Amino acid sequence: MRKVATAGSVAALVIGAAMWWAASVDAQGGGTIEADVKYNGAPKVEKLKVNKDTEKCGTETTIEHVVVGSNKGLANAVVSVPDAKGATKAKGAIDQHGCRFVPHVVVMQPGEIEIKNSDDILHNIHTYSTANPSINKAQPKFKKVMTEKLEKPEFVKVTCDVHSWMLGWVAVVPGLAAATDNNGVAKIENVPAGKHKVEVWHETLGKQEKDVDVKAGQVTKVSFELKGK
Amino acid sequence: MPAPRDFTRGLYKIRTTASKAPSDRDLFKIITDGMPGTSMPSWAVLPDKDRWNLVAYLKTLAPEAFKEAPKKLELPKEVASSEASIKRGKEMFEAIECHKCHGTDGRADGPSRPELKDEWGHPIAPANLTKRWTFRGGPGRTEIATRLAAGVLGTPMPTFIDSVEKPEDIWHLANYLASLGPERPSYATLITVTAVRGDIPDDPNAEFWKKLTPSAIPLMGQIIQDPRNFNPSVDLVAVRAAYNERDVVFHLTWDDPSESKGDGKQTFADAISLQFPPQITASIERPYFLMGDANEGVYLLRWEQGKGVGEATANGPTKIAPIAGGEAGGKAVYDHGQYRLVMRRPLAATGEARPTFRPVVFTPVAIQAWDGGAGETGTRMSLTSWYYLRLEEPQSNRRFVIPPVVAILTLAAMVLVVRAANRVR
Repeated sequence: MRKVATAGSVAALVIGAAMWWAASVDAQGGGTIEADVKYNGAPKVEKLKVNKDTEKCGTETTIEHVVVGSNKGLANAVVSVPDAKGATKAKGAIDQHGCRFVPHVVVMQPGEIEIKNSDDILHNIHTYSTANPSINKAQPKFKKVMTEKLEKPEFVKVTCDVHSWMLGWVAVVPGLAAATDNNGVAKIENVPAGKHKVEVWHETLGKQEKDVDVKAGQVTKVSFELKGK
Repeated sequence: MPAPRDFTRGLYKIRTTASKAPSDRDLFKIITDGMPGTSMPSWAVLPDKDRWNLVAYLKTLAPEAFKEAPKKLELPKEVASSEASIKRGKEMFEAIECHKCHGTDGRADGPSRPELKDEWGHPIAPANLTKRWTFRGGPGRTEIATRLAAGVLGTPMPTFIDSVEKPEDIWHLANYLASLGPERPSYATLITVTAVRGDIPDDPNAEFWKKLTPSAIPLMGQIIQDPRNFNPSVDLVAVRAAYNERDVVFHLTWDDPSESKGDGKQTFADAISLQFPPQITASIERPYFLMGDANEGVYLLRWEQGKGVGEATANGPTKIAPIAGGEAGGKAVYDHGQYRLVMRRPLAATGEARPTFRPVVFTPVAIQAWDGGAGETGTRMSLTSWYYLRLEEPQSNRRFVIPPVVAILTLAAMVLVVRAANRVR
């Protein structure tokens, strides 16, 4: 009974959302993909003690390898529609704040990324990539913003050698994309109507792909379940 | 020791380019000169042509990396070294927080040191900035400026060309780094023990010790007996020594990135020992340099973190026995990646196990050192073969008396000769 009720309310919500969207999206002839990414395993968040720069970094920190929210929703997964090109090309942005990369996963289209240092101490942006040239640039406290180029599609790991626990990712995706929130949900709007491949990627759990048929002015739901390796 | 290069990645540490790939000349230079502080030797024995052919071949192993022609790195306009430039360099050193890895005094003891990993996930040590001769890409100012500007690929060392306040700061930094130590070490062959009258201080930081000239002695990894040490931590010990009518006193300085008492599993107590034959004779026969053997032992004057100075006999590196009734003492300090240690002992000794030190006698000496924080213990040590030390002639007041007496006598003799000559005329 409960399931039916939940399904009913979800359906009502979806219909409500769809009706709301219909007005704005119809003009461009696009639809919305709502991806629901689940993980059927235990979260993996490493806790560790900090022994330097504690006034900026705190005395404890975590490395977020796998973050699982309510209802098994997998956070920090990147859902993308590689063949759906976006109209706007916003710069990517990542901040180093409290000796963490914020956000943990940056989603951007090929192009420039703005790298901020809000910590007032030395960090170094060290990327691990194959398609793009790898970057290892010092960012001292007086260098508040740097701009770098990531022009090829790739999932780029970002670390800081000064603070070895710092871990971030930049998803350089040619098409429309979004990262999942703490409930494992990512919404991609203005997807042109028609058949698309939807891809999901997670830093430790790998990739999955599904076909969807997007209808103009509607929300198309797709769900993924990633498995532990 | 750094692992050998993976040529298929086309990733090279030392380059003078602004792009990822090194220039042909960069590769040629590494093949020709080798890489200090690593297993890569100089291949200058090969004819030029063969070395250039090697460069061409290496590039075919990573065709992707060498697809585009490398861009030359343009360094900012050179700034000659001066007091002002060095001062500015030090300011920049602090502002860009070089100490995070390289330590406040540049001795590779920064707080991030234990966590540093290379591109392949292997632990990697930051450079000791006071030992320029170990810099992988060379010790010169231009070479240092180039590393700062271009970074060292595959390592945590980032590029700083866009991360200094003004471009010429790269040169101020290079000038400061070059001021931290000599370009080449001048190794000693003989340790002189200075004769003094009066007290010799136990405090390793006393002015007394700063006035004595140190003898720099190079150490190598112990690779004769298992388990061996291919990647020794302590590569140099600076020895100062003095004696008075009672004691002989040694002052040792060496770099060690961490002060370690050891957990007994992965880390151990830092330690150092001076080794002598048990009796000092005129014979050229000396015990086996690797802490003696079953037939002939050695005498050790040693210090261990947490235990202090003591004496021991050894019949090989795993057979060390403390000598009871210790006559030795001393004091150690640890300061920003460096130990300074004073060890003292009476000149005279009785018994078979302890040598007596006598002036003007060439006395065999060897050194062993353990960086316990790096996991060194037992046979995993750095060491030297036999060196010699010599206690200076004892000082006496005669040196103030004899020369004037000789001068006066000479003058008198001359006067006599002149007079005699005048009389003859």
